[in-house]
Amino acid sequence: MLETKRQKQKQLTRSHLIEIAIKQFGETGITTTRTTDIAKAANVAHGTIFLHFPKQEDLLVAVIEEFGNRIAKRLQELVDSNSSLLEVLKAHIAGLIEFEPFYTRLIIERRLLPAMARDTYIMIQSTISIHIAIAAEKEIKLGIIREIPMHLLFNTWIGLIHYYLTNGDLFCSSGSILKKYCHELLQHYIKLITIGPKYKEVD
Amino acid sequence: MKQCIACGMPMKNPEDFAMGDTRKDYCRYCCRPDGTMQSYEEKLISLTNFIVKTQGLEERAASSAAKSMMVKLPAWKTESSISNN
Repeated sequence: MLETKRQKQKQLTRSHLIEIAIKQFGETGITTTRTTDIAKAANVAHGTIFLHFPKQEDLLVAVIEEFGNRIAKRLQELVDSNSSLLEVLKAHIAGLIEFEPFYTRLIIERRLLPAMARDTYIMIQSTISIHIAIAAEKEIKLGIIREIPMHLLFNTWIGLIHYYLTNGDLFCSSGSILKKYCHELLQHYIKLITIGPKYKEVD
Repeated sequence: MKQCIACGMPMKNPEDFAMGDTRKDYCRYCCRPDGTMQSYEEKLISLTNFIVKTQGLEERAASSAAKSMMVKLPAWKTESSISNN
């Protein structure tokens, strides 16, 4: 009984640390945030972090995985195998908005991160690309969107989003870049890939 | 909801399961035509190809990410530790 309570507390502290780290990494950068900053923000002793994550890299991978799990969950909640490509893209943006500061740091600093963290990032993009590919392949067959190879369809979308996020200071001085531009970007992208008259305005 | 032990895909509907059999622990994408589960090598190749197809990555980067994902899945824990040694 006591053990269960202890395990529960341990799990709670671990989740709390991950939560604080997501926020802290978003605010001060992934490679520049020190574990002492996270301990301070989480209101725990510095050593507590290493009880849960023996290496700094372990915490980073746990944080990226948590982000990946939540964005995958969000996509599963918002879309199913019958969803249109537009619905999938909207769900993708909605998921990213929840983690925008962290995700922005992640894509800016990705190449500086340990291999494990970089691989986890690819797997997250893979989850998103599955949903996009399922919807896109269906719409290509129906003649709604152009016959574009899957990777270019995905990379064109990601490239657009990432350009705005990584250069956020040029597009939006405060607040969420994705919230400000999601309508315009969605509308532009859908128009780009849709075959002429079948294009429908994005609401 | 069950998750495929070999690729992690959530299996919501019967058609998501191998041969439509909800007693199976792996999905339609991880089974061979005869319904048995793919081997570690087969899955690594198909997952790598999938990443190449959907994200356009170089094969080496895709394979590294695929291995890293498989290591976390119940079906491959043992195989991954052997192949990494």
